[in-house]
Amino acid sequence: MDAVAHCVVVIPAFNEELSLPAVLAELRRVVPELDVVVVNDGSADKTERVATEGGATVVSLPFNLGIGGALRAGFRYAVEHGYERAVQFDADGQHDAGQIQNLLRGLDDGADMVIGNRFGSGSDYAVGQTRGLAMGLLRFLTRRLAGKHFTDTSSGFRAVQGSLLERFARDYPVEYMDSVETLISSCRAGFDVREVDTVMHQRAGGQPSNRSFRLLYNYARLLVVIGTSGLRRRAT
Amino acid sequence: MSAQAHALVAVLSIGTILFILRLVSRGVLKAKYSLLWLTIGVFVAAMAAVPSLLDTVADALGVSYPPALWLMMGMAFLFVLAVHFSWELSRMEGRVRTLAEEVALLRTRLDDPGPGAEKADLGAGETLDRPESGLR
Repeated sequence: MDAVAHCVVVIPAFNEELSLPAVLAELRRVVPELDVVVVNDGSADKTERVATEGGATVVSLPFNLGIGGALRAGFRYAVEHGYERAVQFDADGQHDAGQIQNLLRGLDDGADMVIGNRFGSGSDYAVGQTRGLAMGLLRFLTRRLAGKHFTDTSSGFRAVQGSLLERFARDYPVEYMDSVETLISSCRAGFDVREVDTVMHQRAGGQPSNRSFRLLYNYARLLVVIGTSGLRRRAT
Repeated sequence: MSAQAHALVAVLSIGTILFILRLVSRGVLKAKYSLLWLTIGVFVAAMAAVPSLLDTVADALGVSYPPALWLMMGMAFLFVLAVHFSWELSRMEGRVRTLAEEVALLRTRLDDPGPGAEKADLGAGETLDRPESGLR
């Protein structure tokens, strides 16, 4: 068994029956050596069937937990089944399967987590003004709190391995913005987190998971979490 | 306090205590919460029985307007209660989440024991219609 056999691609999916088949087909074509697990986060559509037909293992949550909840379930699956590495991949087709090897190379180099920067050169990924502003704020906060610069703090295209994977399987925030939160907490806990440039596509189908009202709520929630993380550190 | 108001408070507090005890005896309310409300009931009953009690306490604490003390105590109590329920709810949500994951993972394991595990004894028809090996 070679190194990649210990790696599983975790795809959280909530009502993604339209885009999921193409994503699974691409993964099978580009990285056929990787196992794929789709975490069906209480979808009301045919996500579960589409995923099974696409050849993935399906973990079906009994109700919708939110992106972070689905991810922790996926990480738990990975740890319970003896995988050493997990790649987090979107079900909506915005990530490029061809870039997975890039992330894994970072893990080979000894990183605990590698984040795919969606704004790498050659990427056709663009965000609106408000979103861009918010991301700038997150960049600034992350830099201050993690002590390291990351261009794309909220990227959901990541690879994680070893003890950090086990940590994620145990303890992972349930709600959206989980990526920023875990990025900061992982850095603060002393894990080696790196960022590599990746190519990104615009969403292929489904709905963006962030309506502006929800986004605002999640920013506020995140600020509280970040603000209190300093307290927690002193307490322990 | 007028005689009518006095009687009203007495009836209300006794009624509250009886209602809580009834809930507990029917197993609807957990004993730990009943204790909370029974304490309140006893408090109110004591006030009803000895109307001058509040004035005495307020005087001792230096509160010039006794009803203000009563309101403040009530608000403090409700605040603590609300925080407690938020805490309890957070804990519950965490547990429900873990259980949901557990159920999902167990169900997946039933369908596909995965590498290293003993293959579950499935019927032939059941194993046939699973195209899971496609990605292996």
